[in-house]
Amino acid sequence: MIITKKRDLKDLLENVKNYRNFFLIGCSECAALCGTGGEPELKSMKEALEAEGKSVTGTFVAKTGCQVLGTKVELKPFKEAMDKTDCIIVMSCGAGTQTAVELYEDKAVFSANDSLFLGNMTRLQIFDERCSLCGKCIIDQTGGICPITACPKGILNGPCGGCKDGYCEISPDIKCAWVRIYERMKKLDKLQEFCEVTIEAKDWSASQKPRALTARKEKKNEF
Amino acid sequence: MSFKDILNSGKFVVTAEVGPPKGTDIKEMIHHMEILKGKVDAVNVTDNQSAVMRICSMAVAKIAMEHGLEPIFQMTCRDRNRIGLQSDLLGASILGIKNVLCMTGDHVSAGDHKGAKPVYDVESVQLLKIVDGLNNGKDMSGNEMKGSTDFFQGAVVTPEANPIEPQLIKFEKKIRAGAKFFQTQAIYDIEKFKDFMKHARKFPVKILAGFVVLKSAGMANFLNNNVPGIRVPQSLIDELKAAGKEKALDTGMNITARHIKQLKEEKICDGVHIMAIGMEDKVPVIMEMAGLL
Repeated sequence: MIITKKRDLKDLLENVKNYRNFFLIGCSECAALCGTGGEPELKSMKEALEAEGKSVTGTFVAKTGCQVLGTKVELKPFKEAMDKTDCIIVMSCGAGTQTAVELYEDKAVFSANDSLFLGNMTRLQIFDERCSLCGKCIIDQTGGICPITACPKGILNGPCGGCKDGYCEISPDIKCAWVRIYERMKKLDKLQEFCEVTIEAKDWSASQKPRALTARKEKKNEF
Repeated sequence: MSFKDILNSGKFVVTAEVGPPKGTDIKEMIHHMEILKGKVDAVNVTDNQSAVMRICSMAVAKIAMEHGLEPIFQMTCRDRNRIGLQSDLLGASILGIKNVLCMTGDHVSAGDHKGAKPVYDVESVQLLKIVDGLNNGKDMSGNEMKGSTDFFQGAVVTPEANPIEPQLIKFEKKIRAGAKFFQTQAIYDIEKFKDFMKHARKFPVKILAGFVVLKSAGMANFLNNNVPGIRVPQSLIDELKAAGKEKALDTGMNITARHIKQLKEEKICDGVHIMAIGMEDKVPVIMEMAGLL
């Protein structure tokens, strides 16, 4: 899921100080799980805005805020509230925010959250990053663990000199990605491969921005 | 004679370090170069060491040559992508720089520009392959170049890494990628270093043991607790303690000289790399104490 963190409320209120009427959009997927864009968070944002003398014309938690067409349909019943609004605050990830930017050309849109990374929730509201969306997966060669993500230097061929007792030089809380890969490949009986294969420099062209993908087959091709 | 020729001649070599300063005042650095001139076989020129921004290693390597020293141009992958690295390698080559030490590089979080974007487009093993390619007239994309480089390329290894196995696997990958010589992280336990050398001697590469002079028992403890891959044995810490504050540095220099002497006499490795870290004036003294001058 996309891990988000609430931006400082004071900064947000400062940024929206020239607006009067607000509409709040949350998201029931990642943002709700992160505690940044579910019903309770929308409620407290509404209260905070009202405490500043602002008016909230409506609030809505989208099912999947990054799904543009679905969200557009879901928001249709809120047309009246939206018409009265001059500013939308989106309480989901950057993608959800961009949905509102696309759907409401004439409204100011602000994001209540910072989007941090694609991560896994390991315990309630504890998240860590396991995939960097680099565009070309290499974990077949690294025992299933991604060194692009798990190693701060993205090293592809073994631990650097900064590995201290199996932990990373940049933080004693981070286990060295290459020690983890080594241990896992040992368990999988793939040490030979670790020793013999030098992983080539990565082709970063697969992560050239802005990325887009058309996954569906065009109708004319189906028949 | 070039560093490569000296190493291949079988002479026990000594390399030291020159750390480029932050700022354009290079008087002290030149002074250090003059101290080392005629004493050591080559000097490493560090590349924004510890991710602290300083003068670039290529310019200082060139100045080292002008002052009669043979530079080992350190190159990390932290600050340049593959285009920048190759371009700088070609630049270093036309300036007459012959030796390059390929490293991944300390992370920006260790330095004084913590908000910098770390590059790491490639890492040490891949950089060694790049140098090998340039030496053979081809850039990393396989394009033919007009004129190739002729670098003598080396790398680093940590003989006391824990765990050691993945470190040794990487050591072999570096050799396959073209590393001809290695300078090690500081070592303090000769018996353990001999174990590493037993493994390293299976490969046709030259090994220079790294030395950082201990100035006090406190420094030894600090290294043990904070610097990855460094392990100062308790016996040496006790020796420094027993020497007392005033004699601690002398004792530290004695320990270094004693170790270097043993490495040379027992032909354990091919040379030493002394990282003086601000005490460049002590390098010739240590060499003399070790019977190298």
